[in-house]
Amino acid sequence: MARMKFLCDADRCIECNACVTACKNEHEVPWGINRRRVVTINDGKPGERSVSMACMHCTDAPCAAVCPVNCFYTTADGVVLHSKDLCIGCGYCFYACPFGAPQYPKVGNFGSRGKMDKCTFCAGGPEADGSREEYEKYGANRLAEGKLPLCAEMCSTKSLLAGDGEIIAQIYKERVMKRGYGSGAWGWKTAYHETIES
Amino acid sequence: MASFGRFIRLAVGACAFLLVIAASAPCNAQQVNPTASSVKEQQLLQELNRIQGRVSIPDQRSGVLEQPAGRDWREFRNVTLRWIGGIAILGIIAVMVIFYLTRGMVRLESGRSGRTIVRFTAFERFVHWMTATCFIVLAISGLNITFGRPLLLPLIGFEAFSEWSQWAKYAHIYLSFPFTIGVVLIFLMWIAGNIPNKVDVDWLKRGGGIVGHDHPPAYRFNAGQKAIYWIVVLGGGAVAVTGYALMFPFYLSGIEGMQLAQVVHSIVAVLFIAAMLAHIYIGTVGMEGAFEAMGTGEVDLNWAREHHSLWIEEEQAKGQAPSGGTPKAMPAE
Amino acid sequence: MKAFVAALLFAAIVAVGVSILLNTIQQPSSVAFTTDGVRVGDPGHNLIGPG
Repeated sequence: MARMKFLCDADRCIECNACVTACKNEHEVPWGINRRRVVTINDGKPGERSVSMACMHCTDAPCAAVCPVNCFYTTADGVVLHSKDLCIGCGYCFYACPFGAPQYPKVGNFGSRGKMDKCTFCAGGPEADGSREEYEKYGANRLAEGKLPLCAEMCSTKSLLAGDGEIIAQIYKERVMKRGYGSGAWGWKTAYHETIES
Repeated sequence: MASFGRFIRLAVGACAFLLVIAASAPCNAQQVNPTASSVKEQQLLQELNRIQGRVSIPDQRSGVLEQPAGRDWREFRNVTLRWIGGIAILGIIAVMVIFYLTRGMVRLESGRSGRTIVRFTAFERFVHWMTATCFIVLAISGLNITFGRPLLLPLIGFEAFSEWSQWAKYAHIYLSFPFTIGVVLIFLMWIAGNIPNKVDVDWLKRGGGIVGHDHPPAYRFNAGQKAIYWIVVLGGGAVAVTGYALMFPFYLSGIEGMQLAQVVHSIVAVLFIAAMLAHIYIGTVGMEGAFEAMGTGEVDLNWAREHHSLWIEEEQAKGQAPSGGTPKAMPAE
Repeated sequence: MKAFVAALLFAAIVAVGVSILLNTIQQPSSVAFTTDGVRVGDPGHNLIGPG
């Protein structure tokens, strides 16, 4: 069974934000919610690096572990999803998440922040696949149509890879060997407890 | 001229051949790493324990790329806190049960005199009960956040538990305000009577009379009550401050601050609950004649003499308490 | 008894009052995280409901 993962090749990311735009467009993400974002380290200085980051769909997801109402679930593909019907908007998942994936529609006022929203790996939510309710609550479900997340599909440099963990790890390893350098798969140690030896 | 043409073809062919060789040479030459001077993930994590950069989004919190401290917080919240809370609360309940079964209720040894003295005014009782009822609701809703998922969710199912947790969460947030008002009023109202002094040391040395039939003297508040007072004021203050930090996330701090606020809030809260369980015990089941102090505001004179003899003397000197002996018979009325 | 009932009533009134106040001053993220250069009309309702 495929185990879905994200991999952002930080040596290729040019901070074009195509991934962000693709996600926002595909799921009609409202202003103020940032499912995916590009973070630039050492901006403007020598050694500047950009990384595209959204939910990493961790193994043993910390968000799921700390949720007081247990609204998260992991699919057979390893995608971490949650139910907005059960979510009480307390914000604990944000404190536990190493990557800052959870987003809230309102600020302040613990618990009245509305339902948590986050990257779904374009896999929707507990509602019926491809239904209107699912789209309005969780966005598009591309995985059910056999497609991969749109952010990776739209990446202009193919730095963001999404799909079966073994396949994208293999792609990354080949890249690193061919060009002779690679800064590693950012976030993989924290999310999946593994690194890609290159 | 044909030989010259052949020479030209030979020369062009040789050049092309050399070109192909030269073009493939870089692949075997030394490879360049254009990002050699750039940062690496593990290096940043080791140095700063978080990775942060610049984002073009107005929400600057999204600039934090990785914060592994979330892992430690998860361990605390799921494991450590549940152990501390479980031991504190179940432990204090066990102690109270054993105590009650062995010592029993602390009885009024000289019996009721039938005459009373005002111990707490209506305002004092109002403040106490407002704080106390808010505390009960806050304690239950707070414990639900920590223990609800393993203990209650399996019993009532997901939908019912989420619905209940929603309401509990609202109750927790909004009742925190009257609770805080109550704590502040308690602090101001009773600070005068709760400064520790030598009498308290002596009271404590004699164990407060909790074992045996000793009745160490005390003023209006004995050392045990002063301990409760300071637990309420300091503990209540701590949960209030951290609670408001949690209620308005990221107004005062970044994510490490929020995690710290939750750690302090939850530890103080579970210890606070354990202390209040003991307070509730002694004020109801644990001691005869104690509840009326907060119930009606008036206590039996004999109760006051046995447990707060120095307070009675002060009140009698002020002319606010009936003086006289310890009549056992009820006056005919 | 009067003190107790008054205490419950006062706590309830304060709680309700605070809830009204807090919900009035609470901002949606589309408003809180806007900069001067942006004019956000309808921020969109997909994923977050009509709220």
